[in-house]
Amino acid sequence: MGKTRPCNLGLSPFRTLAFALTVLTSANVRAAGTAIPHGTVELIPESPWITAGRTLNLGLHFQLEKGWHIYWVNPGDSGEPPRVKWQLPTGLTVGAMEWPAPRRLGSPSIVDFGYEDAVTLLVPLHAAANLTAQQPAQLTAEVTVLVCRELCITGKVQLSLSIPIKSQPAAPDMQTQDLFNATRKLLPQPLPQNWKFRVAEANGSFVLTANFGRQVPQATFFPLAESQIDNAAPQNVQPTSGGFRLTLRKSEQLLKPLARLKGVLVLPNEQAYLIDVPLSKPAVAKNVHGNFNAKLLLATIFLKGEL
Amino acid sequence: MKIKCSTLFTLLAVLLLCAAAPLLWAAKVGDPAPEFTAPASNGKTVHLADYRGKYVVLEWHNNGCPYVGKHYNSGNMQRLQKQWTSQGVAWLTILSSAPGKQGYVTANEENDYLAKMQAAPTAALLDPTGEIGHLYEAKTSPQMVVINPQGVIIYSGAIDDKPTTDLQDVPNATNYVSQALQQSMAGKPVQTAATRPYGCSVKYADATY
Repeated sequence: MGKTRPCNLGLSPFRTLAFALTVLTSANVRAAGTAIPHGTVELIPESPWITAGRTLNLGLHFQLEKGWHIYWVNPGDSGEPPRVKWQLPTGLTVGAMEWPAPRRLGSPSIVDFGYEDAVTLLVPLHAAANLTAQQPAQLTAEVTVLVCRELCITGKVQLSLSIPIKSQPAAPDMQTQDLFNATRKLLPQPLPQNWKFRVAEANGSFVLTANFGRQVPQATFFPLAESQIDNAAPQNVQPTSGGFRLTLRKSEQLLKPLARLKGVLVLPNEQAYLIDVPLSKPAVAKNVHGNFNAKLLLATIFLKGEL
Repeated sequence: MKIKCSTLFTLLAVLLLCAAAPLLWAAKVGDPAPEFTAPASNGKTVHLADYRGKYVVLEWHNNGCPYVGKHYNSGNMQRLQKQWTSQGVAWLTILSSAPGKQGYVTANEENDYLAKMQAAPTAALLDPTGEIGHLYEAKTSPQMVVINPQGVIIYSGAIDDKPTTDLQDVPNATNYVSQALQQSMAGKPVQTAATRPYGCSVKYADATY
């Protein structure tokens, strides 16, 4: 079955994709995933076997009941990202997990970053150049995942996978190609060369100025590290002729000056980009903290009241 | 009755500021701890001001949260409560879950829980409106705040450096609350004064996640 592109039903592209993935997964002749609280998880290899000196992508595919979510690598104000403990035979190693761009989830005062419906996390499995074996390689992944709706439940499951080792590289597997291709589209991409970004600190916020050479009306920033920006603060986007200015309130927990702002920027077409921008030196004298102003104001009012 | 114009002005200013208070003062490390009055599960009324001159620990609690469960099922929270209250620290457990949400309890339910878990806070405060929670911008349970005898916040954030639900992580964790209390009592500045509070989101009335 090829990936169907349903006509626009008023769903966001992400939801449409998640829906398409749901249909895709259930249509495939794969064993159902392993149960986690309010969902399933499945370890899916992109190709049916691995070859010495090459990399095979593994997908950790989560399917969640409606209303439940799991977390991104930086979970935001609460929660915890899924974690995997691997047991691998000699000659096989895993690289860093690749995370599709998340969504903002939460209420006005608490904002988390995560995934609803379905998500596939990618893990590259590297085979050593001298890898030879008659027997298929046995992989075990112990997955710990926090699944939340209004409340949170911890799940811990063991997934195993048997992968044959062959000397000829595997042809792409039609059954899994759509899932992996769709997932890769959701991964943050490196910035195009001609896009220019600047970050400066002003009035307790980081101001990210983007120049694309065209106006971009909307953007959402997801910080890769915790405790850099105030997650729940509204992200104010001001369109400019060449792009936008995005104001991100600093986190109260950020006690040391920040050298670089790293994160994922999601633009209106759901295109996600990885940004890593050094902080510009402040052009003006150090800003007085907003809170200090508020206190001054209070003192002034009280003084006046006493008169 | 005659009311002076200046009195009216003061009243108006106070009212305005009260309404704006959560916005103006997200209680931060280094700021004076916002005052509050709340009913405790033991029937008493607690004013934060009553503890001026003592160290005060605030512990946000939700008995259904697995992160809170890690610290109560391992006995870690009870140990901390006993260790620090025996040294004159006031330990206030705060229950900010709204009615109908996870972690909401009546006074009797909380007293049963405290007895069952052999918990030993100075008092458990019922905050179903989330007023104290919002005053301190509590995001998670178990979020912890430490206030010094002068009434200044010296720590706000996570209970320790292991943001997991795994009981095995408790013995190897660095406890930020104990660290803040020890350093401050020794007359030293608190090394780690603000961290990301981990855990379940506080189940305020507007919580959907």
